[in-house]
Amino acid sequence: MDLVLHIGVMICLYAILATSFNLLIGFSGLFAFGHATFYAVGAYATALLTLRLGWPFPLPLIASIVLTGAIGLAIALPSLRVSGIYLIITTLALQVIAIDVMLNWTGLTGGASGISGVPPLTILGHAFGGPARFLPIAALAAALCFAVAYHVGNSPFGRALRAMRENESAAASVGKNIFYLKVGVFGLSAALASVAGSLFAHYLSYVGADSFQVSETVLILSMVVVGGTGNLLGSVLGAAILVLLPAGLAFIDLPQGMAGQLRLLIYGLVLILFLVFRPEGLLREPKRGGKKAPHRNMPDGAPPAMGAIVPLAAREGSALSAVGLNKRFGGIVAISSLDVDLASGRITGLVGPNGAGKTTAFNLLTGFLVADGGEIRFRGKLLTRLRPHELVRAGIARSFQDLRLFTRMSVLENVLVALPRQSGDRLSALFLRPFAVRREDAANTARAMAILAFIGLGDRAMDLAEDLSYAEEKLLVVARLIATDAEVLLLDEPLSGLDGAAMQKIIDLLRQLAARNRAICIIEHNLEAIRNACDHLVYLDEGKALAEGEPGALMRDPELMRRYFK
Amino acid sequence: MDLFAQLLVNGLGNGSRYALLGLGFGLIFGTTRIVHFAYGPIYAVAAYAAWLAASAAGLPLAISAAIGVAGAALAGAAVYGLAYRPFEARGMSSHSVLILSLALSIVLDSLLTLAFTPSVQTIPEFTAPIFILGPVYVTALQLGQIAAVVAVAAILTLFLRRTRYGQAILALGDNRDMARIVGIDTDRISLVVFAIGSAVSAIAAVFTLLNEGATPTMGFNPVFIAFVVAVVGGLGSIPGAIAGGYLVGLVESLGLWKIPTEWQNSIAFVLLFLVMLVRPQGLFSGLKR
Repeated sequence: MDLVLHIGVMICLYAILATSFNLLIGFSGLFAFGHATFYAVGAYATALLTLRLGWPFPLPLIASIVLTGAIGLAIALPSLRVSGIYLIITTLALQVIAIDVMLNWTGLTGGASGISGVPPLTILGHAFGGPARFLPIAALAAALCFAVAYHVGNSPFGRALRAMRENESAAASVGKNIFYLKVGVFGLSAALASVAGSLFAHYLSYVGADSFQVSETVLILSMVVVGGTGNLLGSVLGAAILVLLPAGLAFIDLPQGMAGQLRLLIYGLVLILFLVFRPEGLLREPKRGGKKAPHRNMPDGAPPAMGAIVPLAAREGSALSAVGLNKRFGGIVAISSLDVDLASGRITGLVGPNGAGKTTAFNLLTGFLVADGGEIRFRGKLLTRLRPHELVRAGIARSFQDLRLFTRMSVLENVLVALPRQSGDRLSALFLRPFAVRREDAANTARAMAILAFIGLGDRAMDLAEDLSYAEEKLLVVARLIATDAEVLLLDEPLSGLDGAAMQKIIDLLRQLAARNRAICIIEHNLEAIRNACDHLVYLDEGKALAEGEPGALMRDPELMRRYFK
Repeated sequence: MDLFAQLLVNGLGNGSRYALLGLGFGLIFGTTRIVHFAYGPIYAVAAYAAWLAASAAGLPLAISAAIGVAGAALAGAAVYGLAYRPFEARGMSSHSVLILSLALSIVLDSLLTLAFTPSVQTIPEFTAPIFILGPVYVTALQLGQIAAVVAVAAILTLFLRRTRYGQAILALGDNRDMARIVGIDTDRISLVVFAIGSAVSAIAAVFTLLNEGATPTMGFNPVFIAFVVAVVGGLGSIPGAIAGGYLVGLVESLGLWKIPTEWQNSIAFVLLFLVMLVRPQGLFSGLKR
């Protein structure tokens, strides 16, 4: 009986570890392989504080959470510089260092013999020793941690994490602060894992380095993969399965050391089987975006375009003006002394042959590249050194030639995530003002639906973005851009690859945006479309603006046309 | 000062092994972009193959070493052909391939433990001659390792620059799609790269067998060392990998001058961490391959 209860406790601990790891891997796409380190820090901190300093519950737990959260923030630092495999290796390296510290800093950690005699968890004079008494505590802690992970995962913050996973630059282009997202999710994930560590120390009354080896991180990873990345309930299921599966080995008489080896073999084989036969895991990532919200929150009888585009007052002068921009890549001059002037209510076309520097100009104007010289002003305010998400918040947004939609998110979420000033993007607001965040998100969902209705994608709201047709994807790009509420909209080839009807639809949308006092700039190659769409043209060649003016006049210039078609 | 000189020699010896590890790993990763965690168990397979040939079959050392190298080349090619390639062909994400390589390395590690027990296996009749140069001891193995690095680097450089296969490998490393468009059989080239990379690491494995013996988990640290070396040196550069290997070897060995032995493991990792923070593209990434 005790064995069954013990297995129950272990499932609870691993459920905490797997759900918190899922926030990193499944939601954020950050493959950081140091989760066992967070688990270890929680365990050691609790053991030392309880045993050496005699701190009563809940002080050791709180201290463990704070300390581990801080270490999580520190580990987030390399992830800001490196990604992909470099992140994996860096975090694995940190884990090996952590194990060395546990084994060799004997004065603190007890070295290879670890720390034994950790007192059982005692709350108000009541000691919870042994599996039977501990199981309810473990289950309660697991439920609380799950609730926190679920709350965050399904919040605007969690949505931003998934957007970052799908495409980091696109997430920045809709105003998300990548730095904050990464640091936040690392801190949170580490803090949750430390809860499992803290419980572990009390429960086993022993803490040693052998419990936190790299294989432990691999085990937690297996649970996440088996349960399904991006699905928190799946992680609980994965934890249960992978704890139960090798538990049967306890009943077989095996030579010393053999059981541990077989367990690892089972984990490895299960992982391979899942990767081969069901790579998405047992439970798929749920489609999010408020299934009921659109209907519940849409005011009855409201016209579909209501609130889709925030009206802006007509203002004289240029919205965005850049003077003397320069950019070199090594020895190649990509942009040289370029001036751009975008006025609100006007559609400016940026044209020129391939390699003229059009996309580079966009990158400079939106902070994705830093100019070597020149200055950029928005309504007179200097913002040369701002990062992309800050520029979006200031009122300058862009789209990408290769779309960069958040493909494994719903159409609705693609728009929802781009809406400005979401208090739910901040972790603090999620916990301090949960109801306000929920109300705001319901209103935002209605607004996103209105934008989709305006753009003509209302009926596709709950489909995944990757299931859209090409023309629909191009529409969604415009919808996502509208959602930022930016005054200056830069669209990189919004019309390319479209047939006449679809092209006309987007041109009409751009016209309506211009009529609502947006300053619009598009990159385009099709001269017919340019004549049709643009009020003003800038002709770019070899990084310089060769000519500027009314489209018809420029197109009658034989020299420009010769250059364009050469 | 004598201690310093001795640590320097030890560092050069270990650094040679690390350079070999980095060369093999860098070749595989630089060409195929696969993070090959199973590099570790295959390194161990090489040592066990050589050990079986020498002790069970009683073959001469040179032949046993060749068997170890061939065994690793086969195993490496098999892992690519039977595991990674089918995965890539199904369009799985690079993260899935990475998890697969982790899972494979766990399975192979466990199988090796079950087959050979966790205890150390050595070739009992082998002892390396030792030369005494003034205050410093130099073993024949250390000299052999340095010679091996020189030979492997020379052969790899010639192979990559002068042969059609070598050119194809370089092209693949530069741009996979473009290589496919110009008609390079990327699958076959990748298979060859896995075989060569594993064979290079196997040379280091045989030296480890002769030096310390073989254990099932002997490949665990080398994967990291290989990665550290390849990253520190700049991925895919032969001179970079060699410089990285000796840098890690020397830092680790000379570190013992001031740092207690039990921390030796961490030195390479701290180095990696610092390089990642300061210069993620590698210290020697300017060097051409």
